[in-house]
Amino acid sequence: MKILFIMAWRNLWRNKRRTYITATSVVLALVLALFMRSMQFGSYETMIRAGVNEVGNMQIHDTGYWDNKTIDRAFFTNPELEQKISSLPGVLHMLPHLETFVLTSYGDKTKGVQLVGVNPEAEDLQVNISGKITSGSYLKKGQAGLVIGDKIAEYLNINIGDSLVVMGQGYEGTTAVGIYPVTGIAHYVSPQMNNLIVYMNLETLQKLIFPFKPGLLTGISVYCEPGLEDQLLSTIKASVGDHFEVISWKVMLSDMLQSIKLDNLSGMVMLMILYIIVAFGIFSTVLMMTVERRRQFAVMISIGMRKGKLVITSIFESIFIALIGVVAGLILTTPALMYLYLNPIRMTGEMAAMYESFNQEPLMAFSIAPSIFFSQSLIVLSLALLSALYPIFYVLRFNVLNALRQ
Amino acid sequence: MSIIQINNLHKTYTDTKVPVKAVNGISLSIEEGEFTAIVGPSGSGKTTFLNLMGGLDTPTEGDILIGGKNIKDLNSRQLIDFRLHHIGFVFQSYNLIPVLTAIENVAFIMELQGIPKKERHQIAMELLKKTGLEGKENYRPGELSGGQQQRVSVARALASKPKFILADEPTANLDSASTEDLLNMMAELNKSENMTFIFSTHDKRVMDKARRIVTIDDGKVVSDV
Repeated sequence: MKILFIMAWRNLWRNKRRTYITATSVVLALVLALFMRSMQFGSYETMIRAGVNEVGNMQIHDTGYWDNKTIDRAFFTNPELEQKISSLPGVLHMLPHLETFVLTSYGDKTKGVQLVGVNPEAEDLQVNISGKITSGSYLKKGQAGLVIGDKIAEYLNINIGDSLVVMGQGYEGTTAVGIYPVTGIAHYVSPQMNNLIVYMNLETLQKLIFPFKPGLLTGISVYCEPGLEDQLLSTIKASVGDHFEVISWKVMLSDMLQSIKLDNLSGMVMLMILYIIVAFGIFSTVLMMTVERRRQFAVMISIGMRKGKLVITSIFESIFIALIGVVAGLILTTPALMYLYLNPIRMTGEMAAMYESFNQEPLMAFSIAPSIFFSQSLIVLSLALLSALYPIFYVLRFNVLNALRQ
Repeated sequence: MSIIQINNLHKTYTDTKVPVKAVNGISLSIEEGEFTAIVGPSGSGKTTFLNLMGGLDTPTEGDILIGGKNIKDLNSRQLIDFRLHHIGFVFQSYNLIPVLTAIENVAFIMELQGIPKKERHQIAMELLKKTGLEGKENYRPGELSGGQQQRVSVARALASKPKFILADEPTANLDSASTEDLLNMMAELNKSENMTFIFSTHDKRVMDKARRIVTIDDGKVVSDV
């Protein structure tokens, strides 16, 4: 076997220029593929991270709330259950929310918004709303103020210190009406949030929605350690019983996941085209290497070399070309991607606006997930093996005498 | 003792417009230790005859018994193994493996036979010494002259310890001096090792060295002296 290995390696260097050109095409394809996939996966990871950061790894609601988000499916806080869940290994923290859709009014303008009651300090630690405040200040514990998206402020023509009238449905048929000062105006990455979200203190909102009993919630976001999500999802589901539903972020952000899938698919199509070109490059080299050694093959079979061993030599040759390309491609790409992973490119101007229009942070992030490197290298090696099919068929159908007569 | 027994051998090519009888009823016996030249004009059928003897081609009719074994009964895989262990080949254009050195070319065939590395290295060194290539072991074919390449080719053919060596016009690409050297070397090996050599040739110098000359024309033996 060793001699076959040596022969295959040396055969590659019989025509150095050809081998260099083929290996270079593999390198270029791999570099392109790795950059493309790293960028794609980097952006997916950023989107998912940002999404999970906002909604939590999972949320606990009253059963049926996710499908029918009405305030009547709110529930009262259950400290015992919350304590039980927060003490589960892997649970980092929990953020209670009360959310409802209300009508806001200022001057002669009205606008529908999503009112979100939060624990200001805990929420800020997770979501960093205070970092998005463009004027005024973030909520303080116990303060009956509002933080509104900048598009809402623009539409209602409302400023810091102005009072906003809030009208909506309360819990169990009550009416919720209140007037609160705007303490802060925020700019979020998502235009939808800028146009829709109003934050206020959880206790204040609870009093507005149902003043007769404290502790009303529509959901509790649960944040957990990476990798324990699936396991915790089933544990928590079992803990909360039938009165509550536990929804994974994958369900809550299913639209985002769909768009990621679609984008991933288009990336794969692009890669497929790229790899088809590379496959032809490898194939043409293998073809030339095979056909030009027709007589040599005939001699080797004549002196007693089995066709199977010739086939193995040809397979080694294809793999070597691909390996040279893969190793060189990885050496070139890995440090660059590592740098870009640690130093993502922040977009400005029109590019930033384009990112924001897709509800994305204007950040070109890169991924260094080992699976990207592994899968792309494996694809190139598979293409090389595929190219080796030609010499296999060629050798198996080979007519020694015809070749010797040549 | 007869190592090759050929009985009423026919080979007709039917893949041409008109069937061609390349070998037309040859019967021949070759004894161990012979130094035989198969001669004849171009198209006489001598290369086809050699290919049939070497198991590279299959006869239309007739038998080829090598060491008592009728190679007509072997399938293609068995034929490859048979050639590996029983027949040595020397080709007109040397046909060494260009990416292997002289010693690797000689040892290659022994590796195919499964001979251990140390042993095959030792045998290959001895054979290169016998063929006058001491010091050229690590040269690749491209770095050797035609005569030297043909010597490596002979060493390779000997390496498998074959029953006989088939040489298809081995001197056709060599100059006079190299031809003389090669023939002397093969004659010496024929004497010292009792190795059977069968040549196909046009070369008068080869015929002069041969102890038996079989002349073929129109696929038939026309003389055997």
